[in-house]
Amino acid sequence: MAEPLTAIRLDEFLPHPPERVWRALTDPDRLARWLMPNDFRLEVGHRFTFRTAPVPGSDFDGVVACEVLAVEPQRLLRISWAGGGLLRTTVTWRLVAEGRGTRLFLDHEGFDPTDPAQVNALRVLGGGWRTHLMRRLEAVLAED
Amino acid sequence: MATDVFAALASPARREILRLLLDGPRPAGELAAHFQMRRPSVSEHLRLLRDAGLVSERRSGRHRYYHLEAERLIEVRDWLAPYERFWRSRLRGLRALLDDESQELARSSRADTVDPQAADG
Repeated sequence: MAEPLTAIRLDEFLPHPPERVWRALTDPDRLARWLMPNDFRLEVGHRFTFRTAPVPGSDFDGVVACEVLAVEPQRLLRISWAGGGLLRTTVTWRLVAEGRGTRLFLDHEGFDPTDPAQVNALRVLGGGWRTHLMRRLEAVLAED
Repeated sequence: MATDVFAALASPARREILRLLLDGPRPAGELAAHFQMRRPSVSEHLRLLRDAGLVSERRSGRHRYYHLEAERLIEVRDWLAPYERFWRSRLRGLRALLDDESQELARSSRADTVDPQAADG
């Protein structure tokens, strides 16, 4: 039962070939468009940051410090992920060709439910993201 | 969510107790038999689990049975939900980016094949 407490595992079918998905994961400009602005480089050992808006009232100052840990072209990318109360977690992307597309597996591991700071940070972050999403939703609705 | 739940989960012995209770309610004595430690230590672990709302104690005849409180565990399990929501929304963004790129590609390849014809006509 410890497993679901320390990791997030998601997978998604994308109707696009692995090489396109890989490019979206590893090209800094594309990565910025769907994840966060960054100074990523596809090179094991490269340290970089994702930068986004801080979440008010939380530990999250908008910076996620990362390092490229493992690269298998078009198959696997693993980075470390620290920030917003998380000291060191890892994010692993795995790409598996499926039919005419790609199944993308995302494993975010190393959460520590016994660390009160982390639990608090996530709780605040949860509220922050919800608020952020609501604001965006309101903005979109206002445009109509 | 009270952090004492997580403090309760911090101990391997207490996680082991919960794991044993996943199979069904058990009397305190049977739980204690699984551990090397002294009976009062096991009782102390059970007390902490009870205080955290992760287990409950019910009497049945001469025995005290311990039950898992599933609702509380689900609440604990969901502590990563904010991060999961974050990733799900980002994955939607990734899919949108890839879809956009495909459409652009399709448009430009259509333009390539149409243009010469337009020049001919």
